[in-house]
Amino acid sequence: MPFWCVAVDLAIETIDLTKQYGSLTAVNKLNLRVECGSIHGFLGPNGAGKSTTIKILVGLLKATQGSAKVLGQEVHVDQADARLSIGYMPELPRFPNHLKGAELLDVYGRMYGMNPQERQTQIPRLIDLVGLKGRENDLIGKYSKGMQQRIGIAQALLNNPQLVILDEPSIGLDPVGMVEVRELVKAISKEGMTVFVSSHLLYEVEQICSHVTIINRGQALVSDTLETVSQMISGPTVMQVEVVNLSGATVAAVKALSPVKEATKSGNMLNVSLSTREDVRAEVSQAITKSGGIIVGMTQKGHSLEDVFIQLINKRQEGSAQ
Amino acid sequence: MNKEHPSWLGRFWAVVRYEMLWNIRKKMFLGALLFAFVFATLNLALPGYFGLSENPYFVITFSAGNLTFILFAIVTGMHSISGEYEKGTVVPLLTKPVSRTMVFLGKLFAIFLVILVTYTVLFTYTIIGSIIVYGPQNSLYLAPLSLIGDVISTFIWVSVVLAAGAISKNSLIAILTAFGLFIALVLGGGIIGQLSDNPQALNYIPGTGATGTLNIIGGENITIGNISINTLSAVATGTDSIGNNLIKAVLYPNSEVGFYHQNIFNLTAPARLLYTEPIGLIALRSIGVAVLYTAVFLFVAWFAFKRWQILE
Repeated sequence: MPFWCVAVDLAIETIDLTKQYGSLTAVNKLNLRVECGSIHGFLGPNGAGKSTTIKILVGLLKATQGSAKVLGQEVHVDQADARLSIGYMPELPRFPNHLKGAELLDVYGRMYGMNPQERQTQIPRLIDLVGLKGRENDLIGKYSKGMQQRIGIAQALLNNPQLVILDEPSIGLDPVGMVEVRELVKAISKEGMTVFVSSHLLYEVEQICSHVTIINRGQALVSDTLETVSQMISGPTVMQVEVVNLSGATVAAVKALSPVKEATKSGNMLNVSLSTREDVRAEVSQAITKSGGIIVGMTQKGHSLEDVFIQLINKRQEGSAQ
Repeated sequence: MNKEHPSWLGRFWAVVRYEMLWNIRKKMFLGALLFAFVFATLNLALPGYFGLSENPYFVITFSAGNLTFILFAIVTGMHSISGEYEKGTVVPLLTKPVSRTMVFLGKLFAIFLVILVTYTVLFTYTIIGSIIVYGPQNSLYLAPLSLIGDVISTFIWVSVVLAAGAISKNSLIAILTAFGLFIALVLGGGIIGQLSDNPQALNYIPGTGATGTLNIIGGENITIGNISINTLSAVATGTDSIGNNLIKAVLYPNSEVGFYHQNIFNLTAPARLLYTEPIGLIALRSIGVAVLYTAVFLFVAWFAFKRWQILE
């Protein structure tokens, strides 16, 4: 656990957070708890209220009702000192075109109160980290969308923040860049930072996050660990194995494995119901082979976050229709 | 990483640096600078072209001029607040540990520095040029008063641009508001000054103000072609002439300015004296009016900026 988490258990906590624009409720009594040291995914379709929530958390918008705490401090618009320990990358970040990449980081570093030695150490490190080495002295106006995204990540990490808030960090990046961002998020989490990442890319969240909150129409549908959320609705993971010489002994051998809840025979197909999302294909195939079966084909069908997401959204829509 | 609480001044200077880098790299700013130097060069060259041999009062009667004031106010202020919103750059800026008041004051100070340095270079160029073209200059030590006066005069328009930009979040509206107000006041002030028997009202709005004549002849008359004039005698009371009026008040502290009404439909009729005022009073009042308008518009700009909700 990072040292600052001794003082505060939650990096972000909102209580009945509400934001209205006239008659439109963008965020509706949102209760959010982001644990220190976690990578917390904030998922939702476009217009769900993700960016509005984040803008309230970083002090760009004022909540209509409710409260929000970031790193134990109550959030207010224009509370400069509260932002000393937060790094934020907005969705599709835009920076002054007249500044060079390194100049931007230098001037932002001064705003964080970094001394010259710190800036001289940190800026080249971050430029290298986000893959902009050699382009740091180019004007930002000449940067591509992907490069602007990269400098956006660099400026969010400039002050070695306790909490990094990334709003749709993969937008505008090519597939290689998206993988790099995912690896970067994992790396900064290992350094002890709490990462709160909003995304509408389910597979992205699934690959990097330990916790997830799904939001729709301004309300949290579910918020828990990724494991719990995935199991909440999906039920057990199912494996189908096509076996030559499928005998009762083979079914019994597979059934005896600890991650297996149920195993049934249907022709030459062995249907295995699992109690885990772990990859247990090796264990199952070993049991089948040892009991005399010959495996022809094997598929493991897990319920992805995407399934959960769609089910939750559908449930909510059905509920509101009734 | 040092997590000590950073100083207010350090963060303030970071904002000043951020804004100054933006200002001096703007193409529009470089264009305005070019315009100002062309204007100053013409100011130096044209009287000589029309037959003026020497003018020892050139420097102390020089002003960058009201068109330069509005021009520099627009190019330095137009993107400062509203441009940040339009370009989306306000989002990363306002999520740094700098308060909106600090951002506002830092930007304002950067604009002040840019204008001050620009005018200093312009005035230095004019002083050197005038000595070359018109010979030794009188009372050169008073030239900084004209520089300070021009900066104050410019800041009224800077504050208008910032206020309009902060309220509208639109740079084009900021420019049109400031320039429209400028044109309206120049034209309206000119018409009122010519037609009205009560031009004192013009003393309390930004711009040229009422025009009068010093009741003493300072220095010598100069001749351009066949016309003999005294460049020190004409006085405009508005906020555009703060520097010139300060110099006149220092040189002739006891002099009075007479304000006349001339019937424009009968130019042969003698001008009628309306009233007189001490030059010192005129100079101080124009500074007071300029500071008051600047403070009010800046307060409006700051208040609007503080209340911004960043939706985009």
